[in-house]
Amino acid sequence: MTDPLTILGIESSCDDTAAAVVRGRTVLSSVVFGQTDLHADFGGVVPEIAARAHAEKIDLAVEQALAGADLTLAEVDAIAVTAGPGLIGGVLSGVMCAKGLAAATDKPLIGVNHLAGHALTPRLTDDLPFPYLMLLVSGGHCQFLIVEGPDSFRRIGGTIDDAPGEAFDKTARLIGLPQPGGPNVERAAQSGDAGRFTLPRPLLDRPGCDMSFSGLKTAMLRARDSIVAEKGGITAQDQADLAAGFQQAVVDILTEKTRRALALYLEDGPANRGFAVAGGVAANGAIRAQLQQLCANTDTIFAAPPLSLCTDNAAMIAYAGGALHGMGQVDDLTLSARPRWPLDQSAPALLGSGKKGAKA
Amino acid sequence: MSDPTILAFDTSGPYCAAALLHRGQMSTRIDDMARGQAEHLMPMLEEVLAAAGIGWRDLDAVGVGIGPGNFTGIRISVSAARGLALGLGIPAVGISGFDVLGLADTCRALAIPAPRGQAYLMQGDGPALLVAETALPADVLTPDALTSEARIEAVAQIAATRRHDPALPRPAPLYIRPANAAPARDTGPILLP
Repeated sequence: MTDPLTILGIESSCDDTAAAVVRGRTVLSSVVFGQTDLHADFGGVVPEIAARAHAEKIDLAVEQALAGADLTLAEVDAIAVTAGPGLIGGVLSGVMCAKGLAAATDKPLIGVNHLAGHALTPRLTDDLPFPYLMLLVSGGHCQFLIVEGPDSFRRIGGTIDDAPGEAFDKTARLIGLPQPGGPNVERAAQSGDAGRFTLPRPLLDRPGCDMSFSGLKTAMLRARDSIVAEKGGITAQDQADLAAGFQQAVVDILTEKTRRALALYLEDGPANRGFAVAGGVAANGAIRAQLQQLCANTDTIFAAPPLSLCTDNAAMIAYAGGALHGMGQVDDLTLSARPRWPLDQSAPALLGSGKKGAKA
Repeated sequence: MSDPTILAFDTSGPYCAAALLHRGQMSTRIDDMARGQAEHLMPMLEEVLAAAGIGWRDLDAVGVGIGPGNFTGIRISVSAARGLALGLGIPAVGISGFDVLGLADTCRALAIPAPRGQAYLMQGDGPALLVAETALPADVLTPDALTSEARIEAVAQIAATRRHDPALPRPAPLYIRPANAAPARDTGPILLP
């Protein structure tokens, strides 16, 4: 048995600049520099602002991750970097920094799909056996994947428009709650009446595992505006009721679609039934409780990585890079940064179809 | 260390430019391209080093063009330079287009073309400004006064000098133009007591 490899991971595909060192399944260090304050005035991540921050932070994150692991670059076996999908300016900074490091140290360079990083995290945290069902649900993504191996993913459904995390943020803005929307909407929802407003559950009446959240956002805007038209503003109770109604709609959509996805996954008769959820939205207690219940009902192991490994981080990139390296997948200095890079190349595009191809 | 080995590169325009200062000799390579610098740059630099019979670990410093210019292009080179500097344990020196022009002429105002009929202008000690091309002073010095080769050679020359600066900052892009971003439109509802 050879010693597990020590991998440096680099991630810069959205608004977190991250670096980590992982040896086997042990996270030796994981550094994440957030950018929330930089984007606060703009109601969302501004790609150019994100790219500027990554370019001046990525090497600092690497230094800090190495120091945290008490290792020098020479002691690292390979360098893994997110090569897409994501905001191209940030991905480019990470990829170019990784190329500089790889060239300087003559270490293998491994380009990792950001979504594969998320999808393989249950292997890192829980050693979940293949094949397992994965719900990746974050500010930028929402899809069901059957994970069959480090580079084998079958997408069986996903959002056709917005991601739930983005809808949580938008909802927070609409009802006057601070960012980030996820925890703040969840907190407000605790004292709210989910039944006061009638909100849609898009695509729930259609077969399959695809989802839509755009119409829910619009319905939230209408509900909010109707209160404002009546009273000139909204009260704390209105906020709570709107938050509760919104959260319940998301819970209902995700629960029903996960039920269908689990049924599809179990049809294949996997030896070990496993379901994992990852992404920032997985931190929501109401969503998590329902998904856990579904798994309990179907005798399926439920895995939810800790939040620090659920949201964007570089440990998952290092781990996925190690898995790819183990399969002999190594890149050279021509590695491209890709804004669009679906994990499942054969499933029909859900998002961004057209000549540029599927987004994710 | 009278003969340092310095690799300079710049992708702030539609090209990959490199200069290698080695044993007192300067060699340059300019590959014009509108896109694809991120894929092309590092293999091209390896070829430049190989042509001189050396490798990455023979470098004493890297010099990198920090703009002003194409934002994405600047970041490609600056990020690579930071990775190389960290990996090799050598200084990376960020050098602006104004530094390059200033080496050629210390007296005149300096101007570098910007998108949409504008230009980046540096007069005296600055600061650098974004102005309409039509508002440029007469007799400004612009990059086309120098060959591409002379410009990237200047980056290497300046890096050779500045690398000893004990307060040398890490290379950072010189944007001048702020990021395009509109403040959020929906400011949220009035909160009632």
